[in-house]
Amino acid sequence: MATNPAVAVSHLSKYFPHIELSRLLTGCNFSGSWALREVDLELWPGETLCIMGPNGSGKTTLLKLIATLLIPTEGRIFVQGHDAVRRSLAAKRHLGFITANEESFYGRLTGRQNLAFFARLHNLDPKAAIPPVAQLLQLEPYLDRHFFSYSTGIKRRLDIARGLLHHPDILLLDEPTTNLDPISAMEVRDFLIRLRDQGTTIILVTHRLEEVAKLGGRMAIMLEGRFQEVRPSPGENLEDLYRRIVVEGRRGAA
Amino acid sequence: MLRKMSAFFIRDFLEEMGYPLSFAMRWGGILFKLVTFYFLGKLVAGAILPQLAPYGGNYFPFVMLGLALASFQGVALTAISRNVLYGMYSGTLEAMLVTPTPLSTIIFASMLYQFLLALVEILLYLVFSFLFFGVSLGQANLPATGVLLALALLAHLPIGILSAGFVLLLKRGDPVTLILGQVSGLLGGVYFPLQVLPHWVQIAAQFLPFTHALEGLRQAVLNGKGLGEVSTQVAILSVFAVVLLPLSLAFFAWTVRQAKRLGTLSQF
Repeated sequence: MATNPAVAVSHLSKYFPHIELSRLLTGCNFSGSWALREVDLELWPGETLCIMGPNGSGKTTLLKLIATLLIPTEGRIFVQGHDAVRRSLAAKRHLGFITANEESFYGRLTGRQNLAFFARLHNLDPKAAIPPVAQLLQLEPYLDRHFFSYSTGIKRRLDIARGLLHHPDILLLDEPTTNLDPISAMEVRDFLIRLRDQGTTIILVTHRLEEVAKLGGRMAIMLEGRFQEVRPSPGENLEDLYRRIVVEGRRGAA
Repeated sequence: MLRKMSAFFIRDFLEEMGYPLSFAMRWGGILFKLVTFYFLGKLVAGAILPQLAPYGGNYFPFVMLGLALASFQGVALTAISRNVLYGMYSGTLEAMLVTPTPLSTIIFASMLYQFLLALVEILLYLVFSFLFFGVSLGQANLPATGVLLALALLAHLPIGILSAGFVLLLKRGDPVTLILGQVSGLLGGVYFPLQVLPHWVQIAAQFLPFTHALEGLRQAVLNGKGLGEVSTQVAILSVFAVVLLPLSLAFFAWTVRQAKRLGTLSQF
């Protein structure tokens, strides 16, 4: 039985100041906007959480905060018991982050060379680390081609492979099936189900309700920076639930 | 640590090999530069130039060392900021920052390949000058040359790190490299001895690490001066390195924190 939650977030808020150089240098107060407001969340090892919500509601901000790519304005984040701000290196060892940007590779390098670079940054031997993930994601036929020649689907798979190189206990995925054709999207979903069944903790940000239905686990909707965990009423389908919460939320905000 | 450093080295090598023409032109460019200055050196060979007397009186070896150190300085000033800029633009900086790699490793490893290439470039300047242009290098003091090159790197590296911090903060318009690159070429004595400049400019030039690195290097290579004889340059460059290196690292770490606070790590 795990003693620490895989991810624990308490009173987490994120404010983005609007950038003005003069104010940045003088330390004056900024104008800006709240991307995240007092989010509390505990996710235990092996759990899956799907986060939905309109564009700009704070989903990616939440993932990036957990991935240590942003610093919270208020609140704390723990990853397997490690403070994600103060002990970020320890926290990162447990995290795999699949970005929404499948272009974040070196175009002139092959897929294998790209994966080898990131494997070494995880202190892994590329020869041992790459074959299992390449096999898992059926990337072998493409590994020795240049990244710039890849289709979006292969780039996405390479992005996922990079996130899995170090066998993270926690996988953060930001819209992993965006821009994918239906078959490729289905393959990614099946792959996520396999990871879930193997006990990986998953936080998935998605706009696709069928993805949420298929992956199961816990569900949350984000609206204007607020995080709300939801459970469908008996007989209620996901689309109705999503529409009800978003419409009600917007009405309440107005 | 070694594995992480090698990751950057291999990445940069493979990236460069991806553009073979650019790679070949880089080395070809050295030869063209040397040929140009060789003939310029021949043109002024008969003239009596008292300012060149402390360097053996021959213009070509004098300018050859200036050019070699200028490219070395260029690497120290630009290698890290270029990597940061590309990382922000492509999203690879975020991908690196989610790995358990310390920021200092990313900074230093980012310039490793370019630095080794710059050393090879200096060596090529010397070899070409020796083979094709009859420059005698027998008198060069190798230990002093090595120490001065290492200190030149350490004294210029903080400026490169500051520059990378500015790139992270301002995205474009890094003022550090632009100003220093231009100023060092003019005031540092690449093409002519400092003595030909107005007195107040000569004083201003003393505030540039490049001036001292180049003066020391010329004394070590052209006049065979040992470490004791270039101790002034060694001391000045050491002060630049010891004072500026921790400051620049702290500044860069601050700019990364600012970028994480503002959410601009991948904004370009």
